[in-house]
Amino acid sequence: MADMKVPGRGCTAALAVLLTFSALGRCAEQVPLIMWSSEGSATTSPSPPAAGHVVSGDQLESYLRAALSSSPHNVLLFMQERLSVDDFTMYGGVFGNKQDSSFTNLEAALQSSTTSLVLPAVDSLATGEVTGLLQEQLDTSPLYMDPETLAQLRLNASVATLLVFRLPYGTGVDMMSTKDVLSGNDDVIGQVMNIMNSQSVPYTAVYTALSASRTIEDVPLSLHSVGRSLLQSRQKISPPVEFQEKGSTCILLWAENLNVELLRSGKWERHDLAPMTFGESSRVKLSGSFCNASHSRLVLNYENVLNFRSFKLIFAMSQRHYKVSARRWFTMDQVVLEYDGQKATFNASRYVYAPAEYSYRCESVSSFRYAQLFPHSDKDRANQWRLSFDDFQIQGFNVTGQDFSYASDCASFFTPGIWMGLFTSLLMVLILTYGLHMILQLRTMDRFDDPKGPAISVPQTE
Amino acid sequence: MNGHAILYTGVTLAFWSTILIVGICYTIFDLGFRFDVAWFLTETSPFMWANLGIGLAISLSVVGAAWGIYITGSSIIGGGVKAPRIKTKNLVRYFPYIACILNFSGTTPETIGARNYQAGYSMFGAGLTVGFSNLFCGICVGIVGSGAALADAQNASLFVKILIVEIFGSAIGLFGVIVAILQTSKVKMGD
Repeated sequence: MADMKVPGRGCTAALAVLLTFSALGRCAEQVPLIMWSSEGSATTSPSPPAAGHVVSGDQLESYLRAALSSSPHNVLLFMQERLSVDDFTMYGGVFGNKQDSSFTNLEAALQSSTTSLVLPAVDSLATGEVTGLLQEQLDTSPLYMDPETLAQLRLNASVATLLVFRLPYGTGVDMMSTKDVLSGNDDVIGQVMNIMNSQSVPYTAVYTALSASRTIEDVPLSLHSVGRSLLQSRQKISPPVEFQEKGSTCILLWAENLNVELLRSGKWERHDLAPMTFGESSRVKLSGSFCNASHSRLVLNYENVLNFRSFKLIFAMSQRHYKVSARRWFTMDQVVLEYDGQKATFNASRYVYAPAEYSYRCESVSSFRYAQLFPHSDKDRANQWRLSFDDFQIQGFNVTGQDFSYASDCASFFTPGIWMGLFTSLLMVLILTYGLHMILQLRTMDRFDDPKGPAISVPQTE
Repeated sequence: MNGHAILYTGVTLAFWSTILIVGICYTIFDLGFRFDVAWFLTETSPFMWANLGIGLAISLSVVGAAWGIYITGSSIIGGGVKAPRIKTKNLVRYFPYIACILNFSGTTPETIGARNYQAGYSMFGAGLTVGFSNLFCGICVGIVGSGAALADAQNASLFVKILIVEIFGSAIGLFGVIVAILQTSKVKMGD
């Protein structure tokens, strides 16, 4: 193959093009690329890549440069619409049925060529750019041809040409049409080869495609991995709000929604504080929070909530030892809203409690729907507010590490209604059992039965 | 063992083994704190207790009366074959019951108030008191009445003497009613 100087700007330009393509977010597909030439010695052919290696755009460019530096400058590019290695497996007659192969001319060309390079897996983004790469390396613009126009063309060995043959790929539903299309493409390759051989012009041929016909996702592309996962857990979970005192975490809070609603001129205005509290876009400040052995207080400071300049959501918790159950329990005593100097207080200690070592979790902590939060008094400003926290979890004491302890859920296995039903049913079943026992004990009088005596006859007529 | 004994032992065994297994599970998983009698007593509605009390009062009194009549009646039928005069004199029934009306609104212990919880439990207790005392009173009166009927069949002058004993039996039911009135006297109705 003759030597050739490579233009220096091809590298960066190709990289830029590839980067823009990758920015579009196309998934990684692998397309084979087969190159062979009519002249050249076997010693200068480049070494094939390792098995399983996906050739990137840079590597492809270096392969092409190396190949073209020592090969003729008439480049025939057979660009098929789609191609995968599986097409060779399916239609190449590899299962002992050579006569059914759709790539007979291709195989013949490869065998008759002195140098050939087979890259079974090239990044599809790179193969899509082969035209551009070759154009830059040969410094000539491509000519889009088919065999008829090629026959009329007079080729010259000294002039660099880039001839591109676009080949289709079947989109039929059944396999036969794809096979026919591939056979047709193979016929085109055969015709071109014959024409080139008849003109006895040295050439280099490249057979590749724009994209893969079959993609195998071996890299997980979506957020969840190949293993099983709950549907609910696909969303990104943001970490809980942590309040640290003296370097160790003291209070943890997490909720999916922190809805606060204010009744203003007859309408409820609602605001969800959760996006401002959890996740990357959290803008909450925890100043004013404290925790000691018996009391914890988490203060969430916000700005510009519901047209209030300053807005604070405060959770006040306490823990102590209870004699009757002989263990420590913690309760959330109050949920307080402080806004622009005013205060709304909700009592929460009736329902929000858990053993002191555990966290409290509830699907819905709200003040109006299966309420767990109650206004402190009838005249408290809390009567104008409605709170509703969804998937709420809080722990104010005995926090080890940065995770919640075992979550004591507000939903118990037996609800009060179930208990009432069980108790009443049990009572009625006992009464029923007693009655049944007595009835089953009844015996008819058999003192005067005489099986051997005459049977009683009841005359029908008087 | 006859069929009844097998049935009762089986049911008792199932009941206690369920309790045992549930208790073991709670202990193993360190969920013992969920066994909360106070929660049960405050979360279940006082209406349920009051209604159970009323229902038991009426139903147990009826059972007592029926049982008494059954005992007396069988004797009257037997004795009345030879002495038909006894049949009308001996059907004394005692059937007192007490019911009072509980009316309040509220869903939380604070709004229901301790008073209304006490009302619910008191009515349950009062209902049990009245019901069981009437039950045994009815049985007692029935047995005494049966004796009275048979003695009356023998000798007509004995009826009044045995009736005095029957009055003692009726007093049992009366005592039950008095106690129930005492239990429900502290029940304040309404909010």
